[in-house]
Amino acid sequence: MAKTKADLENFSYHGDNLDDIFEDYEVMVNECPVGRSKRYGGFAFLAKNDDIFEAEQDYETFSVTPTMLLPDLEMGMPMIPIDLDPPEHTGYRKVLLPLFTPMNIAKLEPGMIETARQLADEVVEAAAANNGVVDVSTLFARPLPTIIFSRLCGYPEEDWPKFDKWVDDVLYERTEHPEIARAASAEILRYFEGIISARKAEGGERNDLMDKIINARVDGRELTLDEMLSYSYLLFIAGLDTTAWGLRSSLWYLAQNPKAQQQLRENPDQIPAAVEEFLRTMSPVQAMARTCMRDTVVQGQEIKAGERVVLVFGAGNRDPEIFEDPHEIKIDREDNRHLSFGGGPHRCLGSNLARKEMVIGIEEFLKRVPAFENAGGEVWHGVGPLTVRLIEE
Amino acid sequence: MSQELYIDPKRCQGHARCWSIAPETFGIDEEGFAYVLPGREGAYDEESAQKAIKNCPERAIKVRDVEVGK
Repeated sequence: MAKTKADLENFSYHGDNLDDIFEDYEVMVNECPVGRSKRYGGFAFLAKNDDIFEAEQDYETFSVTPTMLLPDLEMGMPMIPIDLDPPEHTGYRKVLLPLFTPMNIAKLEPGMIETARQLADEVVEAAAANNGVVDVSTLFARPLPTIIFSRLCGYPEEDWPKFDKWVDDVLYERTEHPEIARAASAEILRYFEGIISARKAEGGERNDLMDKIINARVDGRELTLDEMLSYSYLLFIAGLDTTAWGLRSSLWYLAQNPKAQQQLRENPDQIPAAVEEFLRTMSPVQAMARTCMRDTVVQGQEIKAGERVVLVFGAGNRDPEIFEDPHEIKIDREDNRHLSFGGGPHRCLGSNLARKEMVIGIEEFLKRVPAFENAGGEVWHGVGPLTVRLIEE
Repeated sequence: MSQELYIDPKRCQGHARCWSIAPETFGIDEEGFAYVLPGREGAYDEESAQKAIKNCPERAIKVRDVEVGK
């Protein structure tokens, strides 16, 4: 049965709720551009593309404090820099800004291609050993961003296998089992405390993200240990899971759309546009929260100071006023001003890295892995398994 | 009067979409913010510049009137 306005009272953008969330979005953008859900302590939501855009610019009305995450990640302190508003936010962000320019990310390209090739070869080998059936999430979509981001940050390679479970516990357990998220967050913070003290003891320069954080100066002073931990934690959480989701959902779509798959195999130059469309329609970040700081009115609806407000990027990405046939995935869509990396001062710092990883990942995957189809019936969202069958020509 | 392309520095947040769509018209500085390449201010009516305008998530690329001779 199709969803109605009444269903939005229980709107959530986590877990199983994502299975049919596009139906919620359709009701939102057409009948309920500003509404309220009772979940997670209650929140108002904005669903129209323009309203979300305006709210992201207006941080004095829509603050990211106490945190952009709803429910929160149980980390115990604000995450730098995403849980801070300008002007405090600005100095912290500047520390890493130069490292994430497209020019700097381009330097990582040879390493990305090599890693993507190795992983794609492993996918083919694993399939050959298992009647053509293979989990391309576990063997490709997840390890690619983990390896690339870990190298960029300088996390020791022997630690990489621990990361997936930590990320899963924080991001995917927190809605039902906050104690599991809390325990994982504590472990992550202990891990970074170890890295930071080891680096300080060793001295020397490494020119990776951990070094930039440890040697950062904000307003002329060094960061405190808590600030370093908070920044490191945020990067860890933001850098690993999102790109894995982006790659997995792209492969999920291609697994059931042989025509699109064939088109991108024959025209790899169309992959960047396809990536934008996958990001628009299946974004790893479906929504982020703010707190309303002063009474305001959006779409004729009052929002009171103190209310939590969720900006539903996924709905704004399917707003018929902005996108023609918004629910259709058109891999050659030309005008694609989607909200998936957010906007305003909190625009995803890693967007240039994520885009590059997705484009290279899909390109190398299609070059090495023969035609594949969905074999496991898994859902579109998340970073769980994605079982495909390679098709014998 | 003629017109020129410019980027509103208060709006640009470094998505770099303009640069990836129309690298012949837009550059990216050391912090990742976009600018119109010198001499390309008049390119506002070119197809790639128009596409960049439509794809800028911050709506930061604009066209303004300028007085000729200034």
